[in-house]
Amino acid sequence: MAVTLPLAVAVALVSIFTQPGGNVLVQIGPLEATLEGLDFAAQVVLRLFVTAAALTLFGMTTAPRAFIVDLERRRFSPRLAFAVGALLETVPLVIARARTVRDAQRARGLYTEGGFLRRVAAIVPLVGPVVIGSLHQVEARSLALDARAFGRPGPRHMLWVPHDSAFERLARWLLILGLAAIAAGVSVGLLPGLP
Amino acid sequence: MIRCEGLVFDYPDGTRALEGLDLRIEAGERIAITGRNGSGKSTLVRHWNGLLRPSSGCVLVDGVLTTGRRVAELARTVGMTFQDPDRQLFAGTCGREVAFGARNVGLRGAELNEAVDDALSVVGLAEKGTQNPYDLGPSRRRLLALACVLAMHTPVVVLDEPTMGLDAREIGRVESVIAQLAATGRTVVAISHDARFVAASFERVVRLDAGRVVADGPASPARG
Amino acid sequence: MLELRSVAYRYPGYRRPALDGIDLTVRDGEIVGIVGPNEAGKSTLCLVASVLAPASIGGELTGDVLLDGMSVRGQRPHEIAGRVGIVFGSPTSQLSGITGTVLEEVALGPVNLGLSVAATVARSRAALEALGIESLAERAPDRLSGGQTQLVAIAAMLAMGSRHLVLDEPTAELDPEGRQLVGDALGGLAGSGTAVLIAEQDLGLLSSICTRLVAIDGGRLVFDLPIADGLRDRRLVDLGVARQAVPA
Repeated sequence: MAVTLPLAVAVALVSIFTQPGGNVLVQIGPLEATLEGLDFAAQVVLRLFVTAAALTLFGMTTAPRAFIVDLERRRFSPRLAFAVGALLETVPLVIARARTVRDAQRARGLYTEGGFLRRVAAIVPLVGPVVIGSLHQVEARSLALDARAFGRPGPRHMLWVPHDSAFERLARWLLILGLAAIAAGVSVGLLPGLP
Repeated sequence: MIRCEGLVFDYPDGTRALEGLDLRIEAGERIAITGRNGSGKSTLVRHWNGLLRPSSGCVLVDGVLTTGRRVAELARTVGMTFQDPDRQLFAGTCGREVAFGARNVGLRGAELNEAVDDALSVVGLAEKGTQNPYDLGPSRRRLLALACVLAMHTPVVVLDEPTMGLDAREIGRVESVIAQLAATGRTVVAISHDARFVAASFERVVRLDAGRVVADGPASPARG
Repeated sequence: MLELRSVAYRYPGYRRPALDGIDLTVRDGEIVGIVGPNEAGKSTLCLVASVLAPASIGGELTGDVLLDGMSVRGQRPHEIAGRVGIVFGSPTSQLSGITGTVLEEVALGPVNLGLSVAATVARSRAALEALGIESLAERAPDRLSGGQTQLVAIAAMLAMGSRHLVLDEPTAELDPEGRQLVGDALGGLAGSGTAVLIAEQDLGLLSSICTRLVAIDGGRLVFDLPIADGLRDRRLVDLGVARQAVPA
């Protein structure tokens, strides 16, 4: 939410003011907020939240190791499988890092409480160390992994396979069929589509 | 200067990190905190600038309870460096990096510049003022983080593993910084695994184990 | 046997070489310690000896690196993984983060090499035993002490069949117990014929396990002596490595 919300606000503001259309709601200097813009912004924000929610749900319900093992089993490139799994792992690492960065800067007298502007100003000393540090960590990790032959092409014999129950297989098929049905319904005009 | 009374701290997941710890540190003392990893050393010192709040018990800094006082405010009394100096480096130049903390505690103008220059030269980075912190190697970034806390002129200086990864010459520099701090009457507390550094620079050693103080006495003389 | 012959190395984008004129041999069963002031090139030497430089990080290498007499110049990391292993100073950055037990973590290397399940499990268990940490096999990798994590990192390399081990300040972030753990484990390894190259600041550790001491400064070799002679050498103090010469 902390990431999605500012992004959504930024996108919404841009959309409201830049979408072409005739129904002007508010005028601020040269910028016109239009009804069409509001409509567009609402859709974009909605899509953004749905995507974020889906990714979060995926991250919360999928164990990285199961995911990677399964991708490799289905003959996806091991490097790709690892990259995706590493991505899932990275988010909590970055969040943890952000916390310690925040602690370090607070200990140097940075005020993180207070009014909105103060909080915004407080972000500057936080971004750099989080990003650079995370990049360093990624670099260090990828070296260590290169040394363990993660980049080696070719088949692997996994130690264990994720348990794939009949129920999960059925659920997957139903979801895919449902998605196909919705897509078909939209294209045929039975279901309302998004513009 | 710093008092912990019955200090208990529990992590959010319930594990107890500090078990009713009592500790008293007088102004001007030089103290090393030792103990294996996980014994609660970093957890303890983070209570002194308010980064952590006691689950029960209390912490007094300069006679005043830490409850209700903000970290940024306590940071004017208790300056702290962390085990990973990269967690704080963000400025484009070393000079600006050192100035950040000093400015936050109220130094301005000529006084600020002097504090920054002094801090950089005492850690041996006098000519690096205009360089990017990441142009320095990791050990010198640790020295830079030390300069950052020195420029804040805090009465208490807490150093978490100040000699990790440093070569002998750099350790010597840290030792002379601590001697200078002590000469000006400031209180220095360091968490360290380096027995030799501890014996050379500190008069009192507090050893923690599983969240309790298990030893508290004079440092043993340096061996060899 | 690990050999560096007239090795010079430049990091990508840098003009000055980080290493120059390095000749170094580590025989099976030897533990060679590398010392030097910070930024002397210890880490670079470790990266070159493990072939990660230039194979993984780029840069320019002149001279030759040989494993058991065969040059490994130009080979990709995964092609020589399993012949030379590397361990870094930061314990947590070497865990993959995707395994649930220590055994799985150690098994990642052999799995990546395409070994059968039986061979993978056998190798992994043998590696844990060689380091005396079989009892950790079912533990979660992220819940170990720093010293234990380093041992798992070493086991992970051994499980791939590495007969050459390079360690870059492996005890920098460890407490004294952790250092003891790693020192004892390395001593045991050399006894079984592994060639070990270890860069360290801790002279005490090196004095207890190394057979030879190599000092570098500014990317160049300063000396290469038997351990007792090396520790007594005045140049250690001049380089800022020793605070005072260690008495014989």
